Amino acid sequence: MDVSQYLDIFIDETNEHIQSLSDNIMALEQEPENKDTINEIFRAAHSLKGMAGTMGFKRMQHLTHDMENVFSEVRNDTIKVNSNLIDILFQCLDAIEGYLNTVKNTSDEGTEDNEVLIKQLNDYLNGGGGDAPAAAAAAPAEEAEEKAEEAQTEDASAEEFKTLKLDDSEKGRLKEAQESGLNLFGFTMHIHPECLLKAARAFLVFKALEDYGEILVYHPSSQEIEDEKFELTFSCIVGCAGDDLNAMKEAVGAVSEIQNVECAKVSFEQYDKDGDEAPAATESESTPAPVAPAASAAPAPAAKKETPAAANKKAANKPVTARTVRVDIEKLDDLMNQVSELIIAKNSIVSISSAEAKGADVDQTFREQVEYLERITTSLHESVMKVRMVPIESTVNKFPRMIRDLSRKLNKPMDLVMTGEETELDRTVVDQIGDPLQHLLRNSADHGIEDPQTRIAAGKPEQGTIFLNAFQEGNNVIIQVGDDGGGIDTEAVLNKAIERGLVSPDEAENLSQKEIVDFLFNPGFSMAKKITDISGRGVGLDVVKSNIQALGGDVEVKTELGQGSTFTVRLPLTLAIIQALMVEVRDEKYAIALGSIMNIEDIPTSEIKYVQAKEVIHLRGMVIPLVRLDELLDFEPKEEEPDALIVVVVKKGDSYAGLVVDNLIGQQEIVIKSLGKVIENNKIISGATILGDGEVAMILDANALM
Amino acid sequence: MANHKELEAIEEEKIQYIVVKIGDEQYGINIALVDNIVRMQKITRVPKAQAHYNGVINLRGEVVPVMSARRKMKLGEDVLTNKSRIIILKLEEQGLVGIQVDEVKEVISLGESEIERNVQNAKRSANSFINGIGKNGNDLISIFEISALVDEVDAS
Repeated sequence: MDVSQYLDIFIDETNEHIQSLSDNIMALEQEPENKDTINEIFRAAHSLKGMAGTMGFKRMQHLTHDMENVFSEVRNDTIKVNSNLIDILFQCLDAIEGYLNTVKNTSDEGTEDNEVLIKQLNDYLNGGGGDAPAAAAAAPAEEAEEKAEEAQTEDASAEEFKTLKLDDSEKGRLKEAQESGLNLFGFTMHIHPECLLKAARAFLVFKALEDYGEILVYHPSSQEIEDEKFELTFSCIVGCAGDDLNAMKEAVGAVSEIQNVECAKVSFEQYDKDGDEAPAATESESTPAPVAPAASAAPAPAAKKETPAAANKKAANKPVTARTVRVDIEKLDDLMNQVSELIIAKNSIVSISSAEAKGADVDQTFREQVEYLERITTSLHESVMKVRMVPIESTVNKFPRMIRDLSRKLNKPMDLVMTGEETELDRTVVDQIGDPLQHLLRNSADHGIEDPQTRIAAGKPEQGTIFLNAFQEGNNVIIQVGDDGGGIDTEAVLNKAIERGLVSPDEAENLSQKEIVDFLFNPGFSMAKKITDISGRGVGLDVVKSNIQALGGDVEVKTELGQGSTFTVRLPLTLAIIQALMVEVRDEKYAIALGSIMNIEDIPTSEIKYVQAKEVIHLRGMVIPLVRLDELLDFEPKEEEPDALIVVVVKKGDSYAGLVVDNLIGQQEIVIKSLGKVIENNKIISGATILGDGEVAMILDANALM
Repeated sequence: MANHKELEAIEEEKIQYIVVKIGDEQYGINIALVDNIVRMQKITRVPKAQAHYNGVINLRGEVVPVMSARRKMKLGEDVLTNKSRIIILKLEEQGLVGIQVDEVKEVISLGESEIERNVQNAKRSANSFINGIGKNGNDLISIFEISALVDEVDAS
């Protein structure tokens, strides 16, 4: 069966399920008794298993199946959640992610069996709860039941659900559901004989039914359905609070390649009676054989040997899937509407040019249409940009898990508080911001938060708090990462800087707090007294900074000894199109990003002051250094100084600079183009843009001018 | 015997070169690397760039850097005439790069036997940019070693 066309969807959805599992397992650790969470987990695990099975990834399916068993026992209250279990579950998630990565790179799941994990899971099942062996025995029981039934399948194919043979646990579930007031409905689906993906169709059917209620009984068993071990009919019994049978029938019928659906209300008693007639099935359940561990330990110790070689060979291959952006359908609808408008506008311009109307008339209509066209293209621009925007959620939502692991590893109780996960950024930025943020968080956890004794002594709550706040500010997105820990000892940083010869003791005296802290961003500069595997190798903040700068952003740090420190990451909202102010320096045109501009001032030459032989202006209480752009851009100095200067005041964080330009052209939306790869990366030019008349203009990077 | 020789000559693989004039000399550029040849147009200066870059041009909506072959080879300043052209190279690593030349003359085909590879002392000041000298009738054509002429991809 060729499933490669579903690979992208599989990867996307698996990612979502893994994330949902991770979130919910975290929640479960906090509230072990919360039934909603457990149900949510169960559903995600089940979907994972189903998808892996459909795609033919047996090892992945095996692992998720055993996880599902554990969740099922948790749901039945037969085993209790504790942090050991949570640890094992997280390891399982990591293993599933490992499979997923292999799938991404090779479109195959690889050969890692993770038998250790599977064994741990099963040990937990067997040792953790008294009823576990019985649950493990359910599998053979079901098998026996299938065999008993096989003989009857043929004549039972019509309205099969009415004649299902159920085992005790299934009956129990039905009974419980009926007693708790749920309506029971039986379904039998007939699949089109030419259907290629029977399991996928069945899966879709079950998914549709799960919207209405819980599926209590699968026939054949869900495992067999996933393995496609069934003919053209399958059945299930659903317990749901509502009784809208027609809606359910419609939902199931809407799944393509489902030929026919039979359904009716059923009751527990119907099956209870049937059960008596099929003693073979019930009997086999009473043999409590712990089959699951044995079965899971069996596969492939031999296969494991060839793992490294195979993995190495395959790792060299390119990823088989392209990077995708999932787009909200609304955003696409907007795009579609705008494109239709664009076509209408084009048509009316075409008709004007072909019309033989009088001059003035044509002129008027033409201008109107051009304005219309302009409006559409602007909003089209915006929409396309929005399509590229994704919430940073997809990147930051793995952090709570990371902090939990660190907390346990470092023996420091700490909590991560995140806000603004919905803040949107360009997809490229979101993909690449993960590593720097992770690094900052690790720093906070390792160096920032003190151990509990120190904290209590300092009068702080025992549990440390790490925060990650994201929000939009103008054309930037700000992400703050910080902690309420010990803060950075600037004295120690300064000593280290002097020791390493980064600054002479004399110069050191004049450094501001901010300049001292900036030493931390120097390559190889580490303040850790001992190297841990979490941080402290000195390949840290400098990499963070250069990564962020590569994205056109910037990072700053504020710290107060004893109170904690905050790293502020500033990122541009989009990478491709910005609003800019066009200025002229002599006869050349330059663009300055509007986001960095504070205001524009006319400064009489007489008001220029000098501080340390550098030109500054005094503006509303601030002293702002002047940057003569003509000098900076290698023009000959002017022969005559004009009476007044046009100064564009730009800001970056808390620092300002006044750029002296010769002329202002105006505000414009510009498309950023790269200067190519061969021209040396020079800091003051961040790129180029093409103006309306086809001319190229350089974009000045105001940040580099500070 | 004569037949055999003829056959060999025909079978020898010929490469096409675009012949350009820079100063008084003629140079050949492998045509496979050439994307386009454009007339001189407004070149926008890039402040702080390497000295041999004249700037960038707008080539069908893309910003393409343009270097001066003369300045790169230390043959003095460009002399602009109405024969000046920009050869747009399309390179695997560097992408599109323009090279400003004085004149584009013709396209010739040269087989390996028509190229003198031993050019150690052929021309001191520029020999690091050429990898052979082709013979086209009475003219000598220096074959550019493009990888030496065009800068490496800027790593930073």
